[in-house]
Amino acid sequence: MGIYWQVFTMELRRQMSYRLDFWMNSLFAFMAAMAVVYYLWSSIYAGLDGGEIAGYSLNGMITYYLLVILIGRLVRGSQQLMAIANDIYDGGLSRYQLYPTSYLGFKYAEHLGNLLPVALQIALLAVVAPFFLDLPPEYAITPATLGTALLVVGLANLLYFLLALPLQLVAFWADNVWSLAVMLHFVGGLLGGVMLPLDLFPQGLREILYFTPFVYLYYFPVQVLLGQLGWAEIARGVTVMAFWLVILGSVARLIWLRGSRLYSGVGI
Amino acid sequence: MIRYLRLYLYFLRFSFSRAMEFRLDFFFRVVMDTVFYLVHIIFFAIIYRHTALVGGWNYDQVLIFVCGFFVADALHMTVVANNLWHLPEYINKGDVDYHLVRPVSSLFFLSVRDFAANSFVNLLIALGLLGWAIGRYPGSFSPGQLLFYGLLIINGAYLYYLIHLLFILPVFWTHSARGFEAIFYSVKQFAERPDRVFHGPVRLLLVSLLPFLLIASYPAHVLLGDFNWSTMTHIVLVSLALTLLVLMVWRLGLRSYSSASS
Repeated sequence: MGIYWQVFTMELRRQMSYRLDFWMNSLFAFMAAMAVVYYLWSSIYAGLDGGEIAGYSLNGMITYYLLVILIGRLVRGSQQLMAIANDIYDGGLSRYQLYPTSYLGFKYAEHLGNLLPVALQIALLAVVAPFFLDLPPEYAITPATLGTALLVVGLANLLYFLLALPLQLVAFWADNVWSLAVMLHFVGGLLGGVMLPLDLFPQGLREILYFTPFVYLYYFPVQVLLGQLGWAEIARGVTVMAFWLVILGSVARLIWLRGSRLYSGVGI
Repeated sequence: MIRYLRLYLYFLRFSFSRAMEFRLDFFFRVVMDTVFYLVHIIFFAIIYRHTALVGGWNYDQVLIFVCGFFVADALHMTVVANNLWHLPEYINKGDVDYHLVRPVSSLFFLSVRDFAANSFVNLLIALGLLGWAIGRYPGSFSPGQLLFYGLLIINGAYLYYLIHLLFILPVFWTHSARGFEAIFYSVKQFAERPDRVFHGPVRLLLVSLLPFLLIASYPAHVLLGDFNWSTMTHIVLVSLALTLLVLMVWRLGLRSYSSASS
């Protein structure tokens, strides 16, 4: 366990070596995303004369996006998800075979090390946000919903890692697979509720989406945090997440076993 | 000029032959951009289930705007994006040296030498989608209007390139891995929404120093009947001013550049 902790802290230090970049990129990315959301939805709601859209007031919609953007960063980490594909492609995987650790465990520890500065930023924002954010009455963030949401976000982070993992392992056969990770980002953004709350989708489509892993990446953790789900719904959601974790983990393992037989150690 | 054209033809030949060597990557990238287009069309289709207008445009009009943006984006991806991706690496490793000694503009060479053949297929798909959006529009357009719109979209792609460069060139001073490119990918979302949803100082910024709204929104307005000379003058002046600004930053950057491992 100690070695994984070392990897975690090493990655954390690496992340913080360009502090100006890190803080500026994070801050501007957040501000730009929120500005686009604010202007777009203010314009749409202005045409509705104060009505609601799929049960969301303007304030409720902005709050949803604020949380989905922040939670999305925790779920995705710092976009280091091509590290495994790069190791396979350029032969860097070879050196890990000498390490007394599991390669994928090593990479997940790195991924978590990437995540800590992001978590710190979000914690700071969470302290400041109540001074600016007027939480709509329909939302109820309590210590219980916060604690449950943190657990669900942890699972969602692992789910995202395992969704991206089989795509990265395609690097055993293909020379360049970053476009697959970008595709996951697009599809996850739409079907996971980052681009739009899923309540705006047609009812039939929404029911199908609940069987996919995407809903549980972003939309589900936000709903848990906002106190919109009962314990039974949370338990059902966590069960579906666990199902997908097992399936994706098994698929990744199968691809890893077959792919590593092809690995030549000198890059492609 | 002829020398630059001949050079560019060599770039094209080399890029296509290299793309054919990596066929699976070629296929993945075509699928990736197709997914990007679908995701954006579905995004607006769902929004229009709940409202009739966004930024003063109905669904038919917004489709022309969105597909126009796809074309500008695909042009950017095809002609310059690969090159801009590698630019910070060249600056940090001192590889710009090789381009400074060539008898052509270093900025031209570094911006266009890698033509993305796979994105060229996406450009064709984006053009097809734009044709579809224009075809299903209830009104009609003259060939002159369409040609003029096409020129404005090409100018939009050029502005897209200039803004992208503005976010990368600080790497001359920061020496970081990617400059402020992550910020660029965040703020470019402004170009993906109808311009009339933005107002106040943010709008002023988006039509001047960071003219994202001139990439696809203004051309769509011109096509959809809002043509006026002040809009045209605005587009031309901003394009010229941004060109001068980027050239100035590039030259300042080169002065700070200290070759290998700078």
